[in-house]
Amino acid sequence: MFENGILNLTNWAGNVIMPTLAGLFIAGAIYRFSKSLPYSHLSWAAMAALMCSGLLRVLEAFAQQAGANDPDRYWISLLTLVNWVGNVLLPIYGALQVAIMVAHFAGLLERMNIGEAWVRNLVTAMACFSVSGLLRLGEFWIANGTAGVR
Amino acid sequence: MTIPQLLVDLLQLLFDLAVPGAICTMVLAGVALRQEGGVNFEAGGRFQRWMLWSVILLTLPQFLAWFAAQGISVPPQTAGVSGPWLMGMETTFKSFVTDVVVGRLVPVLAAFFVLKAALDTAQGQSPLGSVVSAMFLLTVSTSVRLMQGWNSGSTFGTTDMLASLWNFLAGTILPEAAGLAVVGAVISYSRQRPVMPLVASALAFLSVSALWKLVQAMVG
Repeated sequence: MFENGILNLTNWAGNVIMPTLAGLFIAGAIYRFSKSLPYSHLSWAAMAALMCSGLLRVLEAFAQQAGANDPDRYWISLLTLVNWVGNVLLPIYGALQVAIMVAHFAGLLERMNIGEAWVRNLVTAMACFSVSGLLRLGEFWIANGTAGVR
Repeated sequence: MTIPQLLVDLLQLLFDLAVPGAICTMVLAGVALRQEGGVNFEAGGRFQRWMLWSVILLTLPQFLAWFAAQGISVPPQTAGVSGPWLMGMETTFKSFVTDVVVGRLVPVLAAFFVLKAALDTAQGQSPLGSVVSAMFLLTVSTSVRLMQGWNSGSTFGTTDMLASLWNFLAGTILPEAAGLAVVGAVISYSRQRPVMPLVASALAFLSVSALWKLVQAMVG
């Protein structure tokens, strides 16, 4: 049936192809890092590719805050999305910024990025040799994350 | 006045060929779907028209019953075609639709759409439209059976079937398509393209019924 076809296509794309492409995204991120180009979107895309299923479950949870025939359902799902971004993602991002602030204050990032090309080459080489491990690390975080915040 | 037997048989032949005809219009709808994008359709376009014809053909007795209820004389249906020549024509057409169209032609058309999906990708376009159209074509006969199950049998059978079709799309297909929207959002993000349209549409796919109620409430 058509319904089964769409369901299987979604499962295949989200649970087979995207986790596979995550490796390619990481490889792209490493290459761009070696060229001093912005690479963060590819590393985040690799994480997102590993958790397509979870992202869909998040959107489903947002949409299910109201009944299927409740006229406010879309507004409530958008509101929940905004709340989630504001109260969950931004605090985590804020904590990350504090860590980066400390690293900057200590002069760590300046030494790595400005005038010290050998550090970038070293980090790139290490990442190239451990790309499989990086992917496994991402998978480990996501598998751990499915249990929720503990 | 008594209607001649040949005319009665001809009318019955047309009634009997309604379901095979609906399968043919569904195939044409599948081809039109790809022409209109594959994941969307044009309002008033060919896909919509072929789907409407499929629904009308599947509910032809109910459709005519409405006119009969208004006092318009509609020829009655008989048990079947009695003439051997017309019966042979009916059997041949049904076999053609089953063995040639559904059994052989439609899989080949679907295979060409899969080929087109690969070529679409080579051109830098999304393969999804061709893949969805191929799935639509491959499931034409089961879709017709599903739609026959939605026939309420009342004089409003045609509109009831269209309403059931809407419910099927809104309640079953689009929530599944939300997963594809998430995949599309991740791919767009990796290519530094806008993500929000896909996130917003994924949420909309999960709440189509509610959006319908919202629009009704707005105009109510």
